Amino acid sequence: MSVEKEAIHQRLKAAVHYTVGRMCQRMGEDHRREFSRQVIAAIAETTFRQCDVFAKDLEAFARHAKRSTVSPEDVKLAARRSTALSIFIQNKSEELNQEQRDSKKKNTGKRKSRDTEEESRE
Amino acid sequence: MAEREPEVEFKKETVSKLLSSFFKEDKTKLSGDAALLMAEMLKVFVQEAAMRSMKQAESEDCDQVDIEHFEKILPQLLLDF
Repeated sequence: MSVEKEAIHQRLKAAVHYTVGRMCQRMGEDHRREFSRQVIAAIAETTFRQCDVFAKDLEAFARHAKRSTVSPEDVKLAARRSTALSIFIQNKSEELNQEQRDSKKKNTGKRKSRDTEEESRE
Repeated sequence: MAEREPEVEFKKETVSKLLSSFFKEDKTKLSGDAALLMAEMLKVFVQEAAMRSMKQAESEDCDQVDIEHFEKILPQLLLDF
């Protein structure tokens, strides 16, 4: 792997580690248990590696559909192994579509000020 | 503070860069919506990993969630995803 790619991966790993750490901390607070630092590091590492698996799957699905851009449909396929997960992702996708439909309705009424408000929220 | 702080999530940009870095072809891109959905999926992945490890620790009467607990639940976690 090139030096640059390695550096990018290091930074991304750190970002994942940070978010995983915060998630585990929250969960630990909620259930009055602590996660050891080793476990947090292990979950972060596993998540990072799982992204490789997801990415390769997503790329293959998109290519199979003769697209070069991965779409929500590809993500839904990637979630196929667990029924609960599949339903969860489908619902999230529906939510996203609904949000976009709602924001389009707002935008046709009021223009520039709304646009900047939406953008700053993202 | 009575209100719960917002949930911890993966940032859309981080997820996007992360997945893109693993694509084999340069031309493959990730749509914005797909990135958001993947952020949700990763959140679920981490939550499952953490919850299952914690349940394992609880079943063994351990106060702290340790690496052995995670190791025990890891195979099934990977199969489920």
